Amino acid sequence: MAAKHQPDLIMCRKQPGIAIGRLCEKCDGKCVICDSLVRPCTLVRIKFTAEELRAIMGRKHNIRNMSVIGHVDHGKSALTDSLVAAAGIIAQEVAGDVRMTDTRADEAERGITIKSTGISLYYEMTDESLKSYKGERQGNEYLINLIDSPGHVDFSSEVTAALRITDGALVVVDCIEGVYMQTETVLRQSLGERIRPVLTVNKMDRCFLELQVDGEEAYRLFQRVIENANVIMATYEDPLLGNVQVYPEKGTVAFSAGLHGWAFTLTNFAKLYASKFGVDEGTMMERLWGENFFDPATKKWTTKNTGSASCKRGFVQFCYEPIKQIINACMNDEKDKLWPILNKLQVTMKSDDKELMGKALMKRVMQTWLPASSALLEMMIFHLPSPSKAQKYRVENLYEGPLDDMYANAIRNCDPEGPLMLYVSKMIPASDKGRFFAFGRVFSGKVSTGLKVRIMGPNYVPGEKKDLYVKSVQRTVIWMGNKQETVEDVPCGNTVAMVGLDQFITKNATLTNEKEVDAHPIRAMKFSVSPVVRVAVQCTVASDLPKLVEGLKRLVKSDPMVSCYIEESGVHIVAGVGELHLEICLKDLQEDFMNGTGIIRSDPVVSYRETVLERSCRTVMSKSPNKHNRLYMEARPLEEGLVEAIDDGRIGPRDDPENRSKILAKEYGWDKDLAKKIWCFGPDTTGPNVVIDMCKGVQYPNEIKDAVVAGFQWASKEGALAEENMRGICFEFCDVVLHADAIHRGGGQIIPTARRVFYAAQLTAKPRLLEPVYLVEIQAPEQALGGIYSVLNKKRGHVFEEMQRPGTPLYNIKAYLPVFESFGFSSTLRAATSGQAFPQCVFDHWDMMPSDPLEFGSLAAAHVADIRCWKGLREEMNPLSVYEDRK
Amino acid sequence: MDLELNFEISRTAEFILSRNFTRVALQFPDDLLKHSTKVVTCLRNKLGSGNKVGLFVMADTTFGSCCVDEVGASHIGADCVIHYGHTCLSPTSTLPAFCVFGKASINISCCVEKLSSYFRTNGKPIVVLYGLGYAHAISQIKRALEEAMPKTKMELIFSDVMCSIINPLEDHRKSDGLEGCLGTYSSENSLGSGTRYSLGGLTWDLPEGQRMEDYLLLWIGPENSAFSNAVLTFNGCEIVRYDATEDQLVTDVSQQKRILKRRYYLVERAKDANMVGILVGTLGVAGYLHMIHQMKELIMLAGKKAYTLVMGRPNPSKLANFPECDVFIYVSCAQTALLDSKEFLAPVITPFEAMLAFSSGSQWTGTYVLEFRDLISSSQLEVSKRPEEARFSFLKGGYVEDFEPQENGDEDNDSTLALANATEKALQLRDRDPGSLVKGTVKSGAEFFVTRSYHGLETHANSSSPEPYLIGRSGKASGYEDERSEPELGSN
Repeated sequence: MAAKHQPDLIMCRKQPGIAIGRLCEKCDGKCVICDSLVRPCTLVRIKFTAEELRAIMGRKHNIRNMSVIGHVDHGKSALTDSLVAAAGIIAQEVAGDVRMTDTRADEAERGITIKSTGISLYYEMTDESLKSYKGERQGNEYLINLIDSPGHVDFSSEVTAALRITDGALVVVDCIEGVYMQTETVLRQSLGERIRPVLTVNKMDRCFLELQVDGEEAYRLFQRVIENANVIMATYEDPLLGNVQVYPEKGTVAFSAGLHGWAFTLTNFAKLYASKFGVDEGTMMERLWGENFFDPATKKWTTKNTGSASCKRGFVQFCYEPIKQIINACMNDEKDKLWPILNKLQVTMKSDDKELMGKALMKRVMQTWLPASSALLEMMIFHLPSPSKAQKYRVENLYEGPLDDMYANAIRNCDPEGPLMLYVSKMIPASDKGRFFAFGRVFSGKVSTGLKVRIMGPNYVPGEKKDLYVKSVQRTVIWMGNKQETVEDVPCGNTVAMVGLDQFITKNATLTNEKEVDAHPIRAMKFSVSPVVRVAVQCTVASDLPKLVEGLKRLVKSDPMVSCYIEESGVHIVAGVGELHLEICLKDLQEDFMNGTGIIRSDPVVSYRETVLERSCRTVMSKSPNKHNRLYMEARPLEEGLVEAIDDGRIGPRDDPENRSKILAKEYGWDKDLAKKIWCFGPDTTGPNVVIDMCKGVQYPNEIKDAVVAGFQWASKEGALAEENMRGICFEFCDVVLHADAIHRGGGQIIPTARRVFYAAQLTAKPRLLEPVYLVEIQAPEQALGGIYSVLNKKRGHVFEEMQRPGTPLYNIKAYLPVFESFGFSSTLRAATSGQAFPQCVFDHWDMMPSDPLEFGSLAAAHVADIRCWKGLREEMNPLSVYEDRK
Repeated sequence: MDLELNFEISRTAEFILSRNFTRVALQFPDDLLKHSTKVVTCLRNKLGSGNKVGLFVMADTTFGSCCVDEVGASHIGADCVIHYGHTCLSPTSTLPAFCVFGKASINISCCVEKLSSYFRTNGKPIVVLYGLGYAHAISQIKRALEEAMPKTKMELIFSDVMCSIINPLEDHRKSDGLEGCLGTYSSENSLGSGTRYSLGGLTWDLPEGQRMEDYLLLWIGPENSAFSNAVLTFNGCEIVRYDATEDQLVTDVSQQKRILKRRYYLVERAKDANMVGILVGTLGVAGYLHMIHQMKELIMLAGKKAYTLVMGRPNPSKLANFPECDVFIYVSCAQTALLDSKEFLAPVITPFEAMLAFSSGSQWTGTYVLEFRDLISSSQLEVSKRPEEARFSFLKGGYVEDFEPQENGDEDNDSTLALANATEKALQLRDRDPGSLVKGTVKSGAEFFVTRSYHGLETHANSSSPEPYLIGRSGKASGYEDERSEPELGSN
């Protein structure tokens, strides 16, 4: 389809804020109001309509679904702006400052992204720019469904949700700060989801303006960033995805300055110089990176620095220096020097742009010369996969059912005529309070307004009716910039928002056609963080409880990671990833979801786990209430690594027993027969505690198995110390004496007794408390280190890595910090380092508290007392004698 | 102890003689059982030797000892029951009863002094409630209090004991007829303007336009189930308790308020239940049958399965015999209804809580009802329309599907498909991993039994050789014969 000649609106530069100009290739390039020349662009920008967008949605080869990911404050949202600006949604001039995708007031206020925001952009590329594109395409129009994601660890669940529905990722890394913890986390996640990454080395302006490093030094800086990223990518490489490492010379790395709206890939420069050197662009690109040196004096390329003063690395000679020259010329207002260079580069500035001075001039010049959007777009279109390409290999990650059924095939082929398979990854609050859009990705088929869909929730089991609803989609909506447009239908390969399903989807779900009863759901997302910090909330006025209940319900939906539940004591709990996450959640709860109704929040509390240190000092016995049955039990800690294996689902209740015993015997040194005698896992039948039947010569221990298992689920959920979950305890069921008469050994006798004997075994095996521990990464200059160490010491934290970032004055510190001590950590740290240190905390592992919780006055005992108090339990825990019966 | 005075022998005798009862059951709670013989002797003396009134002592009441044990009394064909000790004054269904509250000692002057000093600091109007054991002293306290605070224009409302005589209800099915059980006092209902409140045998009137929340609630008596009942019912009020034995005012009722929160949790948990056990906890309180039927209907409408269980007072090991039930509803008199122990495998809730949990659209607002008659009259079952939204479970932290209520009826309507459906279900069940015992996935007791891993004796397939002959232990598991000697060994 040929692009319609439909001029695009553009902001008038003389009367800011009013869109009055029109611009496109066929116009004269002048603003209709002020008659100033608007720069001609390489992209033909067309203000797109919903119809055009819908038309392109059907062309699966011309779609790119991508997320922008990276560490906090590396400039993701600013960079996104450039892309949005190129699509004509915001003016080029303000790109980088608006942060269009930070739609919430608190996002703008804090300067960080909190929720990921999706936006559909429509571009038409010129034939010229696409001529070297080898892949399949249908016309020059491209649709980019872009999701800007938050970089703060507390919101990394948003990243997970974004990655699921995209096929490619633009990884943004600060050229000076380099690859950080969160960069690694998001990279790992994206590769786990089989998302192909491209990299942009961002904040180039810092090199020129802030650090003023010379070319060679800058090159090393960039190379290190790219290398570090490649190391991570190599670690998580996946044969199906192929080589995912990024190379500047292949065009998969861009260099950008999001704030100033310019960026380039080596392609830009290769095009410029290729003809000059009489080589093709590919060869030129290779010369522009790596160990390639050029000496203008001899006009020769070498692979080593010849030592001559004029011999410089290709990148430095042809990319870095020209940019530096122009920037310096702009900043120093040396316009007489500037214009000739620009002329040579064939960059035409508009007359009134020429009036600008200093930084503003620099920004304008660079935007005109190297517009960020075209470099990034080209990189995305050339190097990120289209849905039809990506779904071929992603189907294995996505689909839970057999990979040869019709649903798997439809996903694999991205078949618009196939059955509907749609994954809802996120719920987005709609403008009418209390309602939500279900936002997701169509993997196959089409979703249309009025379609009746089967909603398979996270607990749906094929063939059962659990967690399954059939409802109709009221409206299908796409985001065009900042406004929503209703469309008739959305075919596969696209992101979509749906109205009318929010009352049946908590956080995510798989949708399919009403009739497709055999479809298996799409695999649930795996998050890299877990909610370990919790607060109790209650209303200021008791009668507002229904409002609170309604509010919590909405809160749960609005965030992929927050969880709301009721404690045994009847208080409502909101659990989140970290302090910031909770703060945002509670603010949303009160202001958005409860219309400002007063709530009282408790101080944050941490969840703990209970474990044991050693084998029980003796076999403990408990008698049933009627004294006619006895259970004998011992507890011991599970082997190291086994707990994590159970957590990861490598070992679980649904394993084939043969297989399981093989793993247990090989990796953890279990006796083969013993491994077959695992009765159950718990809590919730999958948790990291096990019961093993060690009885010898007992005729029918299976008779009471169900009752013991029931008692175990109960006991492992509420341990003897503080009624926290147990973790890493192996209970060995040693012996049992049962009454001869079945009526006296029923569940009523066995279940409570089993619970007691589990507790007794736990208490005799040196019970210990496990507390959650954060991995903290702090970046700070040297003079702040002292403050960091003293704060960490006070907070029971310990540093295990301290490293200077090569080429920068910054230090990178990694430490473990108990979550319990992390409340107020950021502010204390900022105070102690006069604002120079910013920590990023992410849950890392459970750590055993060394002190004995049974010993009065120990730290662990104090924690136990606190938890019990918060739960409204009796302050002292029950003594062993309550659980154990001695003859 | 003055038996005559404390057990109101002469009033009792008068009651028996005036109504010409011939077989009288005397119901004693455990703590008063030791006085039973003396009471009987006294009473017999009072009735006169010539009288042929049969007196029977009843003890160890099946359910709570606060209720009149009508079934026990009917075993001996009694025509009336004399109930001693603490009572909930729940209406009876067949037998008339006479309640002797007993007279707990109280130092009136101390009490009045404490109370008046407290009242001076607190400006709220006051409603005085008390344990029935203190009923005898109330008029004196009232007089003394009024004397102690003559100037203050304090509004002071004293509740009255409804009546110590309970007359059975003729037709307890009629909910409005239930008011007849208030005995002689019921006729006064229409008198006076304002709202009449009653709770645990006490009644009082509030002037028109006033709500209970505007009043300070004073409770005289020990911290017992009657008090918790009051705290829960009037959870919006400020409550102080005067403890007569300790002679002190207790203003901290946070423990009781905590109970309320805990009940809220139990309601939320009940919402997730698939199978519900109805525990019959009374055979005396009027309307209990009606309540059980109502509960069954409610549970069925909610698409859940109900089982009715009759047992004595429930305890953890009894209830653990029914692990398939996710929640139990305890239908009993108001004061024994609150059973909350962490030892129970499944929560035990009251009928009111069940109504909150199982009728869609109802919300926990803070009002709390424990007595049947309030419940029956307050919430008539309405066939609720299908909810617009899936139910949100706060235990699971997400939406959960409720089983469609029509499903039970499906098979009857569609008899041709019934067999297919049943087979389909059976096949699904077989499919399930036999080792996993995940509760809450099954919808009926039968299905639960199928999922159990143990189905009876099994033959060892792999060992064909006969087991050796062994001599087992003899004796009882509570102490086998070979163990008998052990403690003795220890003492040596």
